[in-house]
Amino acid sequence: MNSVQSRLDAIIGECAELDGREKLELLLDFASRLPPLSTEQQARKASEDRRVHECQTPVFLWTETQNDASRLIAEVAPEAPTVMGFVAILTEAIEGRPPEEVLSLPDDILERMGLAEVLGILRTRGLRAIVGHVKRSIVRGMAGES
Amino acid sequence: MAAYENPEMLVSCEWVAAHLADPAVRIVESNEDRALYTQGHIRGAVEIDWQVDLQNQVCRDYIDRAGFEKLCQANGISPDTTLVFYGDKNNWWACYALWVFKLYGHKDCRIMNGGRKRWQLDGREWTADRVNSPHAQYTATEQDGSIRAMRDEVLRHQRTSKRLVDVRSPEEYSGARLHMPDYPNEGALRGGHIPGAVNVPWALSCNEDGTFKSAQELSKLYLKDAKLKRRSPTIAYCRIGERSSLTWFVLKYLLGFSNVKNYDGSWMEWGNCVGVPIVQGSAPIGGTAASHTPAASADLLTPLP
Repeated sequence: MNSVQSRLDAIIGECAELDGREKLELLLDFASRLPPLSTEQQARKASEDRRVHECQTPVFLWTETQNDASRLIAEVAPEAPTVMGFVAILTEAIEGRPPEEVLSLPDDILERMGLAEVLGILRTRGLRAIVGHVKRSIVRGMAGES
Repeated sequence: MAAYENPEMLVSCEWVAAHLADPAVRIVESNEDRALYTQGHIRGAVEIDWQVDLQNQVCRDYIDRAGFEKLCQANGISPDTTLVFYGDKNNWWACYALWVFKLYGHKDCRIMNGGRKRWQLDGREWTADRVNSPHAQYTATEQDGSIRAMRDEVLRHQRTSKRLVDVRSPEEYSGARLHMPDYPNEGALRGGHIPGAVNVPWALSCNEDGTFKSAQELSKLYLKDAKLKRRSPTIAYCRIGERSSLTWFVLKYLLGFSNVKNYDGSWMEWGNCVGVPIVQGSAPIGGTAASHTPAASADLLTPLP
């Protein structure tokens, strides 16, 4: 199974080749693949504070680790397809990988995808905050907190 | 007041649908989330992004006049084109784009009332087709200083007790928060508001479906309750000048204020400035809030006339 890093590299490599419009289309593609929350996850989202407060739009996100396999669970409002696409990329990159690998997620994913120019400084900063949020969630999981 | 002061500044979704093939009209989409346009837009609409297209990417300012002319030329916009702006989030970014177009003197700018939300609620068509704009000729005017306030002018305005309206959330206004609920802190070091500013959160201007409230409702909100005056010089601000451009649009065109400016430096400038006065708490001036007017603040200014 490919590492978080090599999965991300593949996505970054694909995106870097595209023009601005195609990059956004790629994000929309990923966004459409973000799985909806299960009933049990919906209940967790409602009962625990899973909102990403750094984020511009309603984003609910947390990680779970079982037998050294991490999973990112997320729900993003449909009016924010850019955020949804970026979260879906992280979800696919992380799925099933050990938490230590998730902690090595780079901070410059958007820059390397060439998305920083398309999205501008403020949006890029907002999305980058999501990466930090994912890592903090992983760290809490490793420390035995939920 | 029975009707909007300048009703021609708003067009309905029906109007836009009837003018999709009109070569004298250009529809312009401006959003918080850029991928929305890619996903689906009104047929023939071009996208002008407030961050990437309208802002200088190095200096904190807008594109210059030559950059603005180039942008218009590439998007098939001539000086006599009727521009109709629309977008997500109650047309917040559409109003911001309109304000920048007004800054460079574009004559005929309007807002599609209700924006993306109203168009969607009406069940109208979206398309993901690429739009090919014919090249146009464009000559812009110099920036129109009558709609843009810079820091020193705001300081003077505040010191002479003229009217200011802070359109941020009550928590940002009081200083309890440095940024919008659920939005990232983009870096203000101090919280609070400019002394004397009244607080009228921008979204109060809009209905649930994204359209603007009626003239009567807006009059009550801004004239009766907030005690703003249509003939008094007024400055609107928020965090980076985007939300306040919607309030600016409402005051200038829907309520007919004769002298209203947007302070685009807004709290991201004021809350980081050394030596400018700030009031914390829910009252415009003083009260139980901490207020600080350092003696050195006058040094920021060129001498008052």
